[in-house]
Amino acid sequence: MHILKSSNGMKFLDILTYPEIKIFPNAVTFIVGKSGCGKSTYLKLLNATILPSVGSIEYNGKNIQELDIIDFRKKVMLVPQEVFLFDETIEENFALYCRNREEEKPLPAQMENALDICCANFPLSTRCSVLSGGEKQRVFLAIFLSCLPEVLLLDEPTAALDINTAQTLLANIKCFCNERNITAIVVCHTDELVKAFADYTIQLGGKS
Amino acid sequence: MNGVIQLQLGQFSLVYILLLIAGLIMRKYHIDKIKLLIIANVRMTIQLVIAGWVLTYIFKNPHVIFILLYLILMIGFTIYRVLSQNKTINKNFKTVIALSISISGISVIVFFIHVVVGESMFNPQYVIPIAGMIMGNTMTGVSLGVKNFRESLDGQRPKINALLCIGAAPQRILLPFVKQALETAMLPTLNSMVGMGIVALPGMMTGQILSGTLPFTAILYQISIMVAICTVVISSCFGSLYFGYKTLYDSKTQIVNI
Repeated sequence: MHILKSSNGMKFLDILTYPEIKIFPNAVTFIVGKSGCGKSTYLKLLNATILPSVGSIEYNGKNIQELDIIDFRKKVMLVPQEVFLFDETIEENFALYCRNREEEKPLPAQMENALDICCANFPLSTRCSVLSGGEKQRVFLAIFLSCLPEVLLLDEPTAALDINTAQTLLANIKCFCNERNITAIVVCHTDELVKAFADYTIQLGGKS
Repeated sequence: MNGVIQLQLGQFSLVYILLLIAGLIMRKYHIDKIKLLIIANVRMTIQLVIAGWVLTYIFKNPHVIFILLYLILMIGFTIYRVLSQNKTINKNFKTVIALSISISGISVIVFFIHVVVGESMFNPQYVIPIAGMIMGNTMTGVSLGVKNFRESLDGQRPKINALLCIGAAPQRILLPFVKQALETAMLPTLNSMVGMGIVALPGMMTGQILSGTLPFTAILYQISIMVAICTVVISSCFGSLYFGYKTLYDSKTQIVNI
């Protein structure tokens, strides 16, 4: 049984048309395809931060338009490509994101664990302004992981990383998701990583 | 106390010598904006001469219609100026701004003239200058507040997007921007109150003193107009931004459109 399903012929602004796509639970699905074929847009549609002009998306058999959207986004969470961290310490960033979700901030051990998984084991008191671009991206990802969603949508999580770190990071995330029954959907350009970590692969916009 | 000395036209035109000096300095040192200096002064002169004629006419023939027209024109122009500096905001936001300016402007003007001064709303000698001061400050405040709000949202798209993706409600994301823009809009008014009477005597008080009013009366007028201005700036900005930001998202889809 699938956890997410988008209807056949779903469109975004008449620019992009998608086939029927089913996402299976507790697995890692990779979305691949040429740039401009609508991979990132698909993740945004799944997270309901944009709406399809035609067609619909079902979550556990229910049209997401009928659900409480904020609640839905907390469960089906998109980690966007563009990183944003507050100009504070790492710990404060966890706290501020949680406060915006109207939730308690995680325990220090949970934060450190999330940072470890994302290959970002900096002290919690580190100010985010001193981190490099790639380091910021990993801290950003760790914050999202610590929220423990049901579905995690990752938009090019390895874009700013060298291949070794990318492999460790994806292996850690896959392990983390398996342990907690989290479904992951990953947009990625690197064939090597897709081969190594995908349980399922979805090709968008024809073979490249 | 003596009444103010009437300026004779010949003597009055001598003031342009000062302008000539400013122009010469700008020209000699190749400072740009000489054109604007000339245009600004010509426009000011023409606009004020017209205002003078109109006011003379209205004071001689104080008719309700004239006063209403003058007020409508003033409020209309305030709204027009604020919106023309914030063209990119959506239609509903513009309506909210127009309503906030009109409602808070009119309420404060009526309260000031009718309750505080105790004059008839249709005495042009009071209504027109006081409405002018109130609407002028409203214009500056709301312009500043909305512009600041718009620009800070524009510069923070990644933040808004990240918070939205992680499941924060648009209301929660946008309210800090509203608060910050409100503070920015209030600052000039509050700062001018802090320095008042020490650095400079404000325009209204100066005018009244020149025309022979006792300083103590002039002070009471000045204090009350400052309080009125403070209130009108805060309430019109609050209305514009607090009700305006809700036009940026839709409560069903919870998507933010800036």
